[in-house]
Amino acid sequence: MNLRHRATALVAPGAAAIAVVTVLAACSTSESARPAEEPAADDAAVAAAQDAAREAAGGEELGGSVTMLGVLGGEELDAFLSVVAPFEDATGIEVQYEGTRDFAAVLQTRVDGGNPPDLVATPAIGEMSALAEQGELVDLNGVVDAAVLSANYPASMLETGTAGGELFGLYNTVNLGGLIWYDPSRYDGPTEPASWDELQAWARDKAAQGETPWCVGLESGAASGWPAADFIDEILLRQAGPEFHRAWREGAEPWTSPQVKQAFETYGEMIADGMVYGGTTTVLSTDFSQAANPMFADEPGCSLIQQATFMGGIITDAFPDLVPGEDLDFFPAPDFNPEHPGIASISGEILGMITETPQSAALTRYLASTEAGTLIAATGRWLSPNVTVAADAYEDPFLRRAQEVLTEAEGTYPLGNSLMPQSEVDAFWQSGLAFAQNPGDLDAILQGIEDARG
Amino acid sequence: MIADRILLTLAATAVIVVAGWAYLRLGDRALAALPHGAYRRLVPWLFAAPAVAMVLLTLAAPALITVVWSFFGADGGFEGLANYAQTLSDEVTRIALRNTVLWVVLLPTLAVLVGLAIAVLADRVRYGALVKAALFLPIAISAVAAGVIWSFMYDYQPPGAAQTGTLNAVVTALGGEPVSWIIDTATNNYALIGATLWTQAGFAMVIFDAALRSVPGELLEAARLDGASEWAAFRHVTLPFLMPTVVVVATTMTVVALKAFDIVYVMTNGNYGTDVLSTVMYRALFTAKDNGLAGAVATILMLTVAPIMIANVRQFRRETGAA
Repeated sequence: MNLRHRATALVAPGAAAIAVVTVLAACSTSESARPAEEPAADDAAVAAAQDAAREAAGGEELGGSVTMLGVLGGEELDAFLSVVAPFEDATGIEVQYEGTRDFAAVLQTRVDGGNPPDLVATPAIGEMSALAEQGELVDLNGVVDAAVLSANYPASMLETGTAGGELFGLYNTVNLGGLIWYDPSRYDGPTEPASWDELQAWARDKAAQGETPWCVGLESGAASGWPAADFIDEILLRQAGPEFHRAWREGAEPWTSPQVKQAFETYGEMIADGMVYGGTTTVLSTDFSQAANPMFADEPGCSLIQQATFMGGIITDAFPDLVPGEDLDFFPAPDFNPEHPGIASISGEILGMITETPQSAALTRYLASTEAGTLIAATGRWLSPNVTVAADAYEDPFLRRAQEVLTEAEGTYPLGNSLMPQSEVDAFWQSGLAFAQNPGDLDAILQGIEDARG
Repeated sequence: MIADRILLTLAATAVIVVAGWAYLRLGDRALAALPHGAYRRLVPWLFAAPAVAMVLLTLAAPALITVVWSFFGADGGFEGLANYAQTLSDEVTRIALRNTVLWVVLLPTLAVLVGLAIAVLADRVRYGALVKAALFLPIAISAVAAGVIWSFMYDYQPPGAAQTGTLNAVVTALGGEPVSWIIDTATNNYALIGATLWTQAGFAMVIFDAALRSVPGELLEAARLDGASEWAAFRHVTLPFLMPTVVVVATTMTVVALKAFDIVYVMTNGNYGTDVLSTVMYRALFTAKDNGLAGAVATILMLTVAPIMIANVRQFRRETGAA
């Protein structure tokens, strides 16, 4: 989910200016301070990608163009376009990417209006699944070779993109969720806590000494509340277990069930007054991309911030002098329940096809290739879902570690809120805000999301 | 590809212009063949017909379709008034209705007061043009940009931290506690209305400024010679002359208030009890994908706007009729 939020937030009107300011500030400073920031993929990788592109296009200079609708903007879009550039060079196909803050609305309007894009790339997998059920999406089993699919993608990721036996979507980029970011030069708590309780015990001690342990920011324009929803989602997955999590996101378990309530309460303890910088009002009014700022103030406002892989990039964009590993690091959130150890959560963008043309099929095959995955890894922004991508393709130290965490995890599952219908997702996001504001109303809030399920 | 599109657009424009010219030319020729009386009666329609057709196609037809939609469910079955019952019984819609009423009361009132005050007062000072220009400028800013700007104005940092929001910087400089303007339910609706006022007050001012020029100077002079105070002259001479304009500005602002969407969407997305009818409609249409429910909300909105528009048109007619 994080990708969507990040992207939505980057272009969403509310956060747009903030993000633009951050991005602009980052543009001028990050390159010199952090050479690994936008590592241009080396020539060999680009040449290999061009070969892969030619192969994907059946060895022909196809020409023409592909239209693609997605959520990326700004530097993220530039990073993605750098992955696509070798494809354009090798095949003569022009990729026209349209990034929008209102993905669902724009897509719906264009599909209804008979002018759909050829390809879509979105973190809203639930939306895609709904489109697939309307019969709007092409079955990718007929586009990408079965051998390539089974060799390049983990079975669980293919399963997430499958509905009714049809493969409607392939993961394109991946974020690892549930990370705890901290400043190693200042943080004195456990970096390998055995359990969430151990970490929270340390945090409560800190709070008792009058120091706030956590920084939290839930504001994100029209997507406000997602950071809370994402972590509650993660807690539920790891506390109640993957089986319950699946039943819950598919609608077989109600929002009012005790497990969901417990996940909310666990999150509630983390953002209780005294535990978070500035209290509830600050939590609600702080943009997620700026939430970590107090951690690096002269007098740190907090020691920890919970966020997915991309947060490392946001923090180093804002504080280009930070040395990864020395001033900024992360550890995966510890187990919430000893019965369900070693679980990792992912979110990411999924690629779907609405119109099959030789060009759109070629681009899909190209993006599914190991060579394109290597370029995704080289952008330093995302993990590639492609398991054949070599570990050393990741030059970004955080991504390299995230990839290790991901490969060592005993089970990897997508966050539930990327798979639900949008109206339910919206209710979930908003519940994060309502719960932060009035934790006492939890029962009513959960009933409210249950009603929104419709 | 882009060159193709530009060419296509240019070609389409050329075709439309030529077709329009041909339509008028040939239509006029055809009508000219008729007896003179018929020609005089029919020729206005020749010119009005394209515009009428356009309005029917782009305004009346969609409105009608929306109303029809409102009687059908998300799955396409006829449901009668169920959508209306559902939306009116929904807590969120009730909050939205309450807020919309608040908008409709406050925005026109404030816009009239601010616009009139600036128009009248700025007329009396040397740097009046500057004041007017400053108030007028925000009109050029889109509502979305205004929302972003005001998000910064209303920014909140915890007590003790440096306040980056202009308003809170002022409040804390005066010794107060920072206020979370757009989150605190006691202030957030007013904060949103205030931001909208900022974008609209200039419009009100311009209209009042123009209207002020129509107040006969000799009447004001006579009043002053008779010993009327400035306030009395304003109250008994200027204001009566401006009354029609007040009605026009107030109705226009009422429509703006009823249509309020962008600022709310950008600044709070309807969270913290700031929903208005249009944000509810947007969510029904684009997140819940329930055309029927969205149609019902739109119809309610339309029915609320209609009387105000009728009043506005009547006022306009009265004025132009009198002129």
